[in-house]
This record gives sequence, structure tokens and C-alpha cells, in this order.
Amino acid sequence: MPVVERLAPEDALARVQSALGDSVTEARLNFGQVDVTCEPANFVSVMRTLRDGEGLECKFFTFLSGIDRTAFGGTDKPEKAGGLEVLCHVYAPDRAVHVNVHVPVGLEDPVCPTITGIYAGAEWHERETAEMFGIRFEGHPNPVKLYLPEDFEGHPLRKTFRLPSRIIKDWPGAKDPEEAAAGGRG
Amino acid sequence: MGITEQDARLPEEVVKQLAEGRLATEQMILNVGPQHPATHGVFRLLATIDGEVLVDAEPIVGYMHRGYEKLVEQRDYRQITNLVSRMDWLSGINNELPLALAIETLMELDVPPRAQWLRVILAEMNRILNHLMFFQSFSAELGAITPTFYAFREREDIQYAMEMVTGGRMHFGFFRPGGLKEDVPRGFYDQALKGVRQVIARLPDYEDLLIGNEIFKQRTINVGVLSKESAYQYGVTGPIGRGSDVDMDVRRDEPYLVYDQFDWEVQSASHGDCFDRFWVLLHEVVESAKIVEQAIEGVPSGPVLGKVPRVIQAPEGEVYIRCENPLGELGMYLVSDGDRRPYRIKIRTPSYSNVSALREILRGTLVADMIAILGSFFFVLGDVDR
Repeated sequence: MPVVERLAPEDALARVQSALGDSVTEARLNFGQVDVTCEPANFVSVMRTLRDGEGLECKFFTFLSGIDRTAFGGTDKPEKAGGLEVLCHVYAPDRAVHVNVHVPVGLEDPVCPTITGIYAGAEWHERETAEMFGIRFEGHPNPVKLYLPEDFEGHPLRKTFRLPSRIIKDWPGAKDPEEAAAGGRG
Repeated sequence: MGITEQDARLPEEVVKQLAEGRLATEQMILNVGPQHPATHGVFRLLATIDGEVLVDAEPIVGYMHRGYEKLVEQRDYRQITNLVSRMDWLSGINNELPLALAIETLMELDVPPRAQWLRVILAEMNRILNHLMFFQSFSAELGAITPTFYAFREREDIQYAMEMVTGGRMHFGFFRPGGLKEDVPRGFYDQALKGVRQVIARLPDYEDLLIGNEIFKQRTINVGVLSKESAYQYGVTGPIGRGSDVDMDVRRDEPYLVYDQFDWEVQSASHGDCFDRFWVLLHEVVESAKIVEQAIEGVPSGPVLGKVPRVIQAPEGEVYIRCENPLGELGMYLVSDGDRRPYRIKIRTPSYSNVSALREILRGTLVADMIAILGSFFFVLGDVDR
């Protein structure tokens, strides 16, 4: 009983590209999954197309989160560092197509539109991303903290937020003989 | 959250209701938890009730938030295996699997066939342990105590087999990038087969005991219905999703390890009520047991750990790997910048997405059904909070 007719990654990429057109700035394959990058302004329309577009039907909402790329590459390759982004993953259950949507947001007052109107399940994911990365989701129906106490200061998953135990003591792993230069990374 | 002024009944309305012969009720807030036997951990439900009806029920999580996504950034890959094993404490081995697979994908490590087969055996045995636990807890919450003793008796043989291999009963820490920590000891196959055959032989009895029970049926059929559409919207997976006709199983849809070599079936049901969720859970136990039996038959010989560099250092890149955890899809989005520590891992746990759908289902149900619904939502709080 093959319920899933797997679509070849190249075909999936072609379909996503033709459906999304100019609303994404980049589309490529990464380990068999489609990766697209889009501006926050286009985020909602991109997600709607992915959910409803013919031949796409990414009905399944997997997760939404963020990545803080400001310390990427560490001290060795600082030129690799990037900014803050929202990452959303959706999946087409009938074709086993994965789409990762990357949405770069600014570091100063990062704002991203909410997609709770498209995927109801994004509510918790957006609340978590908001408190962990300090990204504001515009239009979120219930913008309160999910895990952290209301008076918590800072955004724990930002790279500038140091783990308290690492403030007291550097990473013990750095003392390994073959890699003495491994600096603490927040 | 809570009652706003608009919700409070005006006196005229109460008079009107009484005149119409209805009961004049008032909304009140009932706080369920954070310590409640039906919540499997520290979970709070802020329920607004009107008479016998749940007007709203907001799950409040975070009492067990340990910040795994931050902690993993501070540890090297070998340490993380043991950390993620503790996320969902009922299925430790299954938590380690996507992490190991993600590291192997980025590093292009080859996993020896024997390690892959043994991983399947251990993961499926862990699934049986997890499912039997929820089989007993759901029954106990509905007032049937007997299944508890049966479930724990059946669990013990499989648990012992797992203990023979890993030395642990809950947090195994046994998978390594590239394979397994060590080979299985002598006598393991016999012990494992004894355990799973027992499960296969005795499960029909348990089915009669509960699924055929009139009281059980009345308390679960058409109670807490989750629609297929909502399941997709919230990303509900596992036995709960499949109980709502979301016919998804990573093991079949995108086979990892050697799952495509076994003869088994994905169980699903279409009503989306408590009964169907439980039905799927119970039937999955047998399917897992079948996989274990076949895998033990076919386990190839050879090493259990591939050629792994002494320092595990994933090259720059990112990958999303998902596995079928007992409770649903467990995914890890691993971002590496070439360090010995991951740059970021987004851990997508099944319980988190599943519990986020709870509010929608609980709205409008009766207080008396609340425990049945909570119990049928097989979740582990450690997995929700991470």
C-alpha cells in the first residue's frame, strides 16, 4: 500500500520555483529537501502558496524556529557570519516533499509577519521563537511567553546570551590537547 | 487567558435563562495541575468551565524547560547523544537516533549494516516499552487498574533485554555517530525474542479486555475528536495523528536505517477520537514486535561501529533529519559551522506539536471527558518542554 508517491527532489524544486516565482530570492536543494529564502514581506504569501498551490500541497506544518547566524564560523572565519533568520519547515505528506523557508530578519527590532492564519499550529512555535530570539511576530493572536517567566530578561538562543555556567567556567572541552584554540562560543 | 468582563454574565441574562427554564450557570476557572496524576509530568491546564462544559482549556507548559537547544550548542557531539536521550524519557534510544543520523549525514559516515539492524531492533523494542506504558496509563486514568500489572509484566522482559545491551533502563546513551557503542551480549536475542513473542501472544487478550469493554467504549468513542485538517495544521503525528487518519509514518514514507526490509503495516484509523488513538497505539505494539522478530532473524554479522574519526567534527552545512519516534515525528535541524559543537540544533519534538493541538480539542467538551482526552494524548512533558 504505497500511500506516498515520492517526488524526485529536482521535480519538487522545479515545482516550488515555478509556483513561488519572484517572491523568493533563492531556491536550491539541500540533502533532498527544498530550501527557499524569502523576504519577511513575502513570507505569508509564500506559505499560503506552499500550502494551497497545486502540485505542492504542503499541508503538514512541521516546525517554525529561528537561527542566529551572527557567530557562525566562530573566531576563525568571521566572514561567514550572518544575521538572524526565521526558519519554517513544511511537508507535503502525499509526495514526501520537504520545504525549508528561510526568512532573514534584521538584528535591530526583528519583525516577521505571523503565519498563524495559514497554519494554526504556528502559534506555539512563534511564541517560542519570539521569546528565544527576540523576534516579534506581527499579528500574533496571543503574543505572550511560552516557556520563560514573564519577567525574564534576554533571549536565550541568541549567541550574545551566554550560558551562565560558561560565564563562570570556560568550555572544558577546549582543554583537549588537539584543539587548544577552541574558544567559548557564548 | 481567563475570563474577561465580556464573558461575565449580566444579571438580566441570568434572569432570562431562569425564566426559560435553563440553569443559570457562571463561568469559573479551574486550575488542573501542575501536579496532576493524569498529566505525566508537570503540566498545567487552565480550564474555564461553565457548568459541565469546558469553555476553554489552555495548556501551560514550561515547568520542565531545560533549554536543550542552548545546552547542545555548548557540548561536543559525543556529549549530546547522552543529553538528548533524556528528552523523552520513555523512548531514549529513539531520541538518539535522529541526532546520530544527522551527524552521519553531514560527515558522510558509513554505518555498518549490523549496526543499522541492531538500531532497528533497539528502536522498536523501545517503542514497545513506550506504547505499553501509555497502554497502562491511559487505562488506569479511565479507572481500569488491571492493565497496569499486565503491561509492566510484559515490559519487564523487554526492559531487561535493553538493560543487557545498554546497561540502562531509561537513558541508554547507546548510539554513536557511525554506529553503536558496542555489540550486543550473548543471550540478548533469546531474551528479546522471549519478550516480543510474549507481547504478540498476549496482546489479543488485552485488546479484549479494553477495546471490547462497554464502559471503555462509552468513555472513548466520539470523545475528543481531532479532525484530519487540524492534525495537519498543528503537525500532529504518531499514534494520535494516525488515529485521525493522518496516514504518515517516516519509517514507511522515507525509510531510514533498514526499515524498508521488513514486512509490517502502518496502522491508522479514521475517527480521530480517543478510542481510535488508543486502538492505533495498541496495534502498533504488534507491528513493532513483528519488526523485532524479523530483524533478529536477519541481523548480519560484522562490526557495529564504522570508521569514525577520533574527533567528531561535522563539516559546514545544515540538514533536517526526522525519525519516527514512538509518539510521532522527531526531527532535528542541525546547523554546523565546522566546529566540534553544533552551531544550532532545532529539535522538533512530537509531543510539543501534539500538545499544542490540545486546546482546540478540549474546547466545548465535558469536564468528565477531560481526563480521557488528556490520557489519550500520549505525551511526555520532558518531550514537550525539552
